This record gives sequence, structure tokens and C-alpha cells, in this order.
Amino acid sequence: MKPLHTRFRLVTLFLIGLLLLAGLYGVYSITVYGNRWFASSRNLRYREAKSEVIAGDIIDRNGVLLATTDAQGERVYQADKEARQSVVHLIGDRDGNVANGVDSFDASYLLGFETTLPERVLTLIKGEQRHGDDVTVTVDSKLNTVIVRAFNTHVRTKDKSGAAVVMNYKTGEIVGFVSVPVFDPANISDAVKADTRHPFWNRATQSTLPPGSTFKIITASSALENLEDIENRTFTCTGATQVMGSTITDFGNAQHGQLQLPKAFRVSCNNTFAQIALLLGDNALRRTAENFGFNDNFLFRDIVVENSTYPTENRTLIELAWSGDGQSQIAATPMHMCMVAAAIANNGVMMEPRLLSRVTSPEGLVRLRMTLKVYRRAVSEEIAEIIRGYMLDTVSRGTATAAQVDGLSIAGKTGSAESSLDGRDVTHAWFVGFIDDARYPYAVCVFVEEGTSGGGAAAPIAQAIFRYIQAYFPFQ
Amino acid sequence: MSRSSRFTKSLRGRPDRKLVSAIMLFFFSAFFLLAFKGELNWQGFMLAAVVPLLIYIATMWLPRFFPADKLLLSIANFLCALGVLVLYSTDLIKGTNYGMQQAVYYGAGILAMLFCILLVRYIRYWRVFIYIIAVCALGLMALPLAFGTEVYGATNWIVISGISLQPSEIVKLALLLVLSYYMSRRRFWPWLIFAVLCMGVLMFQADLGTALIYYMTTLLLYYASTGNLWMTGLGLLGGAGSAVYGYFKFAHVKRRIAVWRNPWMDFENTGYQIVQILMAIASGGLFGMGLGLGYPTIIPVYQTDAIFAVICEQFGIIFGVLVLCMYGILILRGAFIARNARRSFHGLLALGATIMLGLQTFVIIGGVLKLIPLTGVTMPFVSAGGTSMVSCMGLIGLLQGVATVNQDDLTYDYEVSHNRADEESLPFANPDT
Repeated sequence: MKPLHTRFRLVTLFLIGLLLLAGLYGVYSITVYGNRWFASSRNLRYREAKSEVIAGDIIDRNGVLLATTDAQGERVYQADKEARQSVVHLIGDRDGNVANGVDSFDASYLLGFETTLPERVLTLIKGEQRHGDDVTVTVDSKLNTVIVRAFNTHVRTKDKSGAAVVMNYKTGEIVGFVSVPVFDPANISDAVKADTRHPFWNRATQSTLPPGSTFKIITASSALENLEDIENRTFTCTGATQVMGSTITDFGNAQHGQLQLPKAFRVSCNNTFAQIALLLGDNALRRTAENFGFNDNFLFRDIVVENSTYPTENRTLIELAWSGDGQSQIAATPMHMCMVAAAIANNGVMMEPRLLSRVTSPEGLVRLRMTLKVYRRAVSEEIAEIIRGYMLDTVSRGTATAAQVDGLSIAGKTGSAESSLDGRDVTHAWFVGFIDDARYPYAVCVFVEEGTSGGGAAAPIAQAIFRYIQAYFPFQ
Repeated sequence: MSRSSRFTKSLRGRPDRKLVSAIMLFFFSAFFLLAFKGELNWQGFMLAAVVPLLIYIATMWLPRFFPADKLLLSIANFLCALGVLVLYSTDLIKGTNYGMQQAVYYGAGILAMLFCILLVRYIRYWRVFIYIIAVCALGLMALPLAFGTEVYGATNWIVISGISLQPSEIVKLALLLVLSYYMSRRRFWPWLIFAVLCMGVLMFQADLGTALIYYMTTLLLYYASTGNLWMTGLGLLGGAGSAVYGYFKFAHVKRRIAVWRNPWMDFENTGYQIVQILMAIASGGLFGMGLGLGYPTIIPVYQTDAIFAVICEQFGIIFGVLVLCMYGILILRGAFIARNARRSFHGLLALGATIMLGLQTFVIIGGVLKLIPLTGVTMPFVSAGGTSMVSCMGLIGLLQGVATVNQDDLTYDYEVSHNRADEESLPFANPDT
């Protein structure tokens, strides 16, 4: 038994420890989550602040004014209906139907919460109403329009939902950011509100879906990391590999016969990748997936992205086999799959996606400028090089030939992911890829809900994007 | 020029005066500035005069009559005045009248403190007195059962002719007196029965935040007085058991736990308060929106539960952490007083008061920061409310009572060892030396 005063000291230390814990936790959670709490579209402070502060403008990378404030304090969008529709998920709308648009996520700038004390005093002296800061985003709004138009004109994507993300794989800048169906923020009709396709939903960052065969980029990386001489090993695809009494089937019930990893990647052979996943084992495959950002808590500075999951429960062999093909509860957003392709393009280094180019005060002072940040190293440079070769091959003579563009060397991977939607079994179409050219360092992810075939539905949209980049983007 | 100024001369070598002058100046200028916000507001001018005056009375004038611990006094009074200030600033936003009310409560709190100092200092025969206290406390505690009103899921208020009272706040003082009296005499059953009865009533009223504080205070004080780890561990187990029981018994507890785990799930209803609290703290950032600015009144029950969030929104998280540090100093000072006590009754009393203040601070600030589920206890000294103010200042009174007795003992020692030779050179009577 300890003497009385020692016990007094222990009790005191306990109390001080509690307060210290509270203080540290408070500082930690404010620094890590503060911006997200503040940016929540449920923050009533905006509505209050709007009566006192004139919200700043949102401008795209080419200087196009995307949103401004009129004399009555109302938010005004572009005059052209098609143009304002195609950036609606990027900007958000007046009523806060779209979550985490620039208008709400960067409200601390737009509504002048970051204005310094001297600036506030100065406007007070001048007797003017306070102006928020102007925000320049990295997106090219014309590219967004082109993507939406492509979705609406192609036969296999018309009237379907989907998303597309285009990012600079060297810097992480997002230059294209679309979710369809779009709606008109200036005039939200009852039909839009009642639409069962949920137009308010931002599919690029909020929908986590099975990535299907696009996940084979990760399975192949894991195989190259963990299995010796895997490139020269021969697999047999009967079109019906048996695991635990279930059958692994291939898209269109194809049978590929004897084949090796490069060909299996090019033709997207489910049977081979299921066998590879079984060879790898759950831990090795999960480790690689986690290196690519699965199961991580995404806390990017400019953009809120739903977390991707590689499942950790109920890992039977059949689940593992399907995981090699990107099924079995594996889920990722189109934004994240774009980052996966971008990592391969960028020699295995995944950049943090950025949406904010710069913030300028009403007086023209640059308050914040975009800085590059490496999010993580996903895979080694050598393996990234090999996978890039596979992906180039896939576009030139594999499943993704529909993404080819004359004069550009395109790399890509298609995916047709089986999922269920409102209780129905559906097949979503995916394409991820990039331009393998230092002059156009752009990676693309296209996702089409119920698109059935990645090569058929998603790749043509990617082709339209690549063409636009080739025509309008300056050499870098 | 400053050397010749009488004011600066009077400050030299007197850290307590410097500290109190700084505090008074801070509040004077804060209220004075607020008075000019919007239309000219006479309440602001009044508070600018009254609050510094109250601070002066409590920290400089009262200690003339007995050797109190001035650092402890200054911090407690700073926090009280901060409560008045923050409430007044929200009044200006919302048009309520909490600020003036709180200033009155602050005055009542100073009286309560004085009462408790006198109690500890001058009552020598506790044997009969402690019975009276125990019986009165239990009676008071049971009152809401007979005619209480339910507020936020807990029935712990009584309303007497328009004035609402929360007996469990006042009984805290009685609990500490009873616990430390019997523990110091090594009598186990009397304090246990009293504590169990109190907590039984609290559980019955579903006031679980307060029950938690009562419970943990009793347990920690028991450990400090006996050092019996086995029994303390057993007590902890029992507490965990009843917490689980409470979870399944009370719907509002279940709800609060669910909301704590993910407040964003049910934002519109049950998660509304904590979500608004988090957004308020986040919008304040490091340095805050500024006094009287921001939109803290959006938060439900901002004036009591969430007052720490209001402070953080207006003054910033750095100031919030500094406020936490002040509670830390309060605890260290309280422990110091407990350590210096000559009689175990006084030692346990001071430690108990310290534990109670520390735990209550943790429970509410931890709740506001979403470290633990949010409960409806008040933030000591700062939250709006008369009963809470009286009980917290009463706790400070108990601490100060012990501190004055300690100081008297020291003086007595000094006199004895020096044969009362030269009264002029007593080191503790004259702070200038």
C-alpha cells in the first residue's frame, strides 16, 4: 500500500491526464476533421453568413466564370444551360442537394472565413459589405461539357447514369469531373427531385462499386510483386474453374485455353486472375490493394472521396478467387480507380487529387496556391513499367481498342463488374487508362452504370476525352 | 514616467495584484467593447463595471480577512467572468438575457464560496453537524422525485415559486463533507450508505452524467483514503456493470451512445446538437471568429451543455486549450492544498473537491469534443445556471477553507518556534517579504 500523499499525487495525475487527453483529442480532431465538419452542407452558418458576406466567384482553369453572386446576394451560374449543367456536381447547387461541391466544401474561402483581421478592419472602415475570396478550380469546364455530351450521344451510354474523372497524373490536378445524369442548378424541377436515377448523387466520389476487371491492374501488380517468374508461367482457362463447388466464368462465357499473364491481362481472363488470386493468398492481395489506397481513410485537402474497401471478413477461397477479378465486396469510387491508373502512369507514385488551383482575395492577393503532394507509393517503378506495357497492349489489340486515338499512345483496362442495383443483377462498365506521353500526362476513369461492357460502353467515352485533350490541351 | 506612477509602484513585487488587474482589465474592455456592438447597450456598460468589481471583491478584498489561496481564486473568478462574458455576447446575437442573470448568479456564487470558507474554518464539532447535513441533503435530493420536472430525459429539477433548482448540484457539497468526514475516521458504512442512497436517487431520476461524477468521485476518494486497490477495482467493475444496465434500461442513454458513435447518421434529429457543436468549433478555427461574432446560437442548449463550443467558436481552439489549462492549474492547486492539510478530514475534503471539479470538466469538455458521449452536466463556473454556479463556487469555498486552515497552522508553527518573538517579521502574514 502506497503512502497517503503518493496516492493523492496519483489521483491528481489521473485528473490531469484526463484533461490532457481531452485537449489533445480536441486539437487532433480539429486539425484532421475540422475542415470537413465545417464544409458539411448541413452547416447552417453559410446561410447566416450569406446575409453578411458576398460570396466569391468560382473560376475554371481557363478563366471561365462558373459561379458568381448577383446584387441580391443570389448565386448565379453560367448563362448557357448545357455549360452550367455539366459542372453542377463540381460546383454544387443553391439548396445544398449536391454534397461537398466546391461551393460548400470551399465555403470557408468563398464566404470570407479566412479573411485576416486587418482586411476585415479595412472593409469596416470603408463601410463596404464584405467580399469572400475567389476560388480557381483545376477543372476545364469545356472538357466537362464534352464528356456530358459524349454520354448523351453514344448509343450505349444514352440515358444511363455514370461518371468520368480526368486527372493529371504528374500533379494530381483534376481537369474533368462529371457525374451523369446532370441537372440544371438554376431551375431544379420536381421531375429531377423525383428521378429514380438520383441526379443529385455525385457518382464520381460518392458511389463505391465493384471495380470488376479494372482491379486486375492491382492483382497483376501483386502477382509481379509476390510470385516469382509469374510472367512465364502458363495458365489454363477452361472458362469454368471450379472453386469450392462454384464456377468462375468469363465474360461472354469465353474460353481462352493456354495463356500467360500478358495475354490474360489483354483479354481480361477471369479464370487466370482467379487462379493467380488463389496462388497469392488473401494477405498478399490485400497488402497490394492497400498500397493502392484501399481500406484507407481518404482525407484529401480539396475533395471528399468515399473510402474504398477490400473486404476483411468472410474470406473463403471462392471469395478470394473472385477478388482477383475485382468482385466479392471489393468497392471503389471512379475517382479512386482513376488514381489507380494514374499511379501506374506516374511510375507507381500516386498523387493526391487536387481540385483547388488557387484562392484570391477580393484585392487580388493570392491567399493559397495549389501545392503538389504525393499521396503514396502504390507499386515499384519496375512493376509499374510492366503493367503499363500490358495496358498499352490492351488498347492496341485487347479489350479496349475502342479507346484508340490516332497519334496518341493510349494505355487502358476495361472492366465489366457484376453488381446488384435495387435488387436486380446488373453489369457496370468501366474503363481506366491514360495517355502514355509526357506532353499529355492525363489519366481517365469512365464508369457507366448498367453499361454491360467496358470495351463497348465506357471506352468510347474515354476516346472522346482523349481526343479533346489532344485537340485543346497545350503541350506540357 | 512609469517608475514614478503610483499605480505601477503598487504593482511591483505583487504578482497577485498584477494578475487580478490584468483579468479585470480584460473583462472591462471586453464588456465595454460589446456595449458598442449594434445599438448602444446599457447592459454592457453595467457589466463592464459590475464584473470587474465582483472579481476585485472575491480575489482581493475577501482575502484580507483570511489567508486564502489567491491563484486558485483568480482562476475560478476568471472562469466565472468568462461565462458572463460569453453569455452576454450571445445575448447580443439572440436577444436573450442570460448575461445579466449570470452576473447575479456570479454574485450568489461568491456568497456561497464565503459561506463554505466560514463553514470549514469555524465549525469544529462536526460529529452532530454531519448528521444534519446528511439528512438535509437526502431530503433535498428526494424532492424532485415528489414534484420534479423532466428536462432532456432526466427528472432532476424542482421549481419553487418560479426559481428552478437542481438539488443534485447542491448535494455535491454535502457528499464531499460526509465522505471525507467518515473516511477520515475510517468508518466504512455511513459514507457508503449515504453515497449509495444519493446515487440510487440519481439513477432513479435518470440523471446519469451527475451520477457518473458522484460515483467516480466516491471511488477515487476511497482509493486515496485507503489505497485499497482490490476494493477500488471491485467498485470499478460494479460501475461498469451499472453502466451497461443503464444502457439497456434508458432509451435516452442508448440514443446518446449511438449519436456519439456516429452523429452524422441521424443529423436531423438526435445528432443535431453534437454536429452543430463540431461545426461551431471548426468554424472558429485556431483564433476564433471574434468576440460577439459567429453564429454560436445555432447550437441547441448553447448556454449550458455546449458553452465550451461557443467559447471555441468566438475565441478559437487555442483559447479553448488555454481554458483547459486553467482547469489543470485549478486541479494542481487543489491537490497542493490537499497535500498541505494537517488533518486527514481536511485533506480528503480538498482532494474530493478537486476530483469533483476535474471530473465534471472532463465529462463536459470531453463530451463537447466528442471524445466521450455528451451528457447534460454543466461546465464548472462557465455554464449558465445558478445552482451550478453556487455549487462550483461552494467547492472552491471548501478548498479555500482548507487552504486558510493550512495557512493558520503554518503561522502557528512559526510563532511557536520563534516564541512569538517578533510579530512584524512573520513571513506569511505580510506578502511583501
